[in-house]
Amino acid sequence: MAYLERSSPTLKETLLKIYRAEKPIEIDQHFYEFGSIQYHIKCSVLDTKIVYVSTSTLLETQGIVTSKEILSATYEVIKNIAVGVIDIVDPPRLGFQLTLKLHLDNIPRGKEAIKIITRISEIQAIILSSQLKEMLKRLNFQDDSQAINNNNRPIRIVYHPSEPFYVFRQAEKITAVFPMNFKDNSDVVIAMSFFQELVEVGSQKEMGKAPQCSWSPVPPFQLRGEPVHDLTTNAGFVSFDITSRHVEGKRLDKTVWNLLNFYAYVKYHIKCSRGYIQRRMRKRMDSLVKRLNNTRFEEEAPQKENGACKYVKELVKVPKGKLMMQQRCKDMTRRVKISKFRIRINGCARFRFNQRWISIPKFSSKSSNKSYTKLD
Amino acid sequence: MFQANPLRLYLACIRNTLEAAMCLQNFPCQEVERHNKPEVELKTSPELLLNPVLICRNEAEKCLIETSINSLRISLKVKQADELENILTKKFLRFLSMRAEAFQVLRRKPVQGYDISFLITNYHCEEMQKQKLIDFIIQFMEAKKEISELKISVNTRGRLVATEFLKQFM
Repeated sequence: MAYLERSSPTLKETLLKIYRAEKPIEIDQHFYEFGSIQYHIKCSVLDTKIVYVSTSTLLETQGIVTSKEILSATYEVIKNIAVGVIDIVDPPRLGFQLTLKLHLDNIPRGKEAIKIITRISEIQAIILSSQLKEMLKRLNFQDDSQAINNNNRPIRIVYHPSEPFYVFRQAEKITAVFPMNFKDNSDVVIAMSFFQELVEVGSQKEMGKAPQCSWSPVPPFQLRGEPVHDLTTNAGFVSFDITSRHVEGKRLDKTVWNLLNFYAYVKYHIKCSRGYIQRRMRKRMDSLVKRLNNTRFEEEAPQKENGACKYVKELVKVPKGKLMMQQRCKDMTRRVKISKFRIRINGCARFRFNQRWISIPKFSSKSSNKSYTKLD
Repeated sequence: MFQANPLRLYLACIRNTLEAAMCLQNFPCQEVERHNKPEVELKTSPELLLNPVLICRNEAEKCLIETSINSLRISLKVKQADELENILTKKFLRFLSMRAEAFQVLRRKPVQGYDISFLITNYHCEEMQKQKLIDFIIQFMEAKKEISELKISVNTRGRLVATEFLKQFM
């Protein structure tokens, strides 16, 4: 099964890591993607500039000739990604369909390096697309008489174990049929409404250039004789009519990519729809709970005023006026007098006894300081 | 306008019935000492139960109100026009039922034959204002509107996605 993004994110990240590494690193990684695509990356400390990338996929087509091999034209396309950087190793590593030898030294520096590495990460997309491209080109140039001679046999393409699709030639068009199966009943319902919209949108005038799309609960008669388990579905069959217009020039690449990604597209749409439904339900639930909480009698508690907190604790009342302020100071002075002088209270520096405003009368025997007259 | 009238009549009928039914008082269990149970759920003492009232808007939409001395049970059945509405209704009401503790008056499992059920006891009537509680139940019945909006959103989304997919071929 092809995926919506052409380049493999894990492969790209690993190659960039090796390319940017300051010290030599040893890598021998094996990973899978989407259950059917396999990768192996090997990089030795002794020779960090050479990286071996092996890949394998469930590449199966059954039709006139059963084919599990990569086409020779595909090898040329892969080599041309970056001339001088990619060498194809023959035979490939055991268990893989293709092994590439990458010369990291020959990759130009700067932004170009990222582009080349991204394109190298797209090898699976190239392999999967190339086979379908050849098939569509061949079918397109086939005469109607040739098609009749071949009994219009459909070609079964399997890129994912449970997602085969069929391609066969009809008069002046090629039809791609996708049997749709889903595990969950709600997925089936969402998918059916999507297929309905797809057919309606496809029949509009504005979409005249797009392939004609149709849905049927039963398989087309051209698929008679195909394995029953492939034709047993719970969401019907979606068909696209590809005309010669869609396989000419640059459009061929787009057409092939869209057909390969149809299953992934539908599944992604269903997943996003379910997420959206969940979010809406959660939002509605929150609003209902709020409304229910408003029915309580505690609503009569003190309301908010000017945005202040509802449950304001009553703090100690601060006395207003100069007189009250003086009284407060006197109280503080008295407390300080009671305590020892050496005790320092933070923030009460003004209340220390060496400050002027606390006046303790001084009694002196000197006559010059007398402010009173001694009585005889 | 014409369609709104039957709905208003239906909701008005339910409101009036709830106003009459929501006269609950505390009543300890007659069978087990020191127990206090909602009698509408147990149904062991017929003298404590009132006649249930079934209000039908049509075959697919109805409301059952069962009353007892200390509790009241309201069950709703929502109309489902097609498969998509069917699964959306099931999902939405199941979502709410599973979070019944947040609602307090909501029953975790609906009564058989209905989509959602409420259980209101005398304790709820003591904590919550009666009129506002009735308003809440009536507003809850607008779940149908929410489901219709969801359906339209899903279809609109599907249309946009289909348009984008087909545009890639052009």
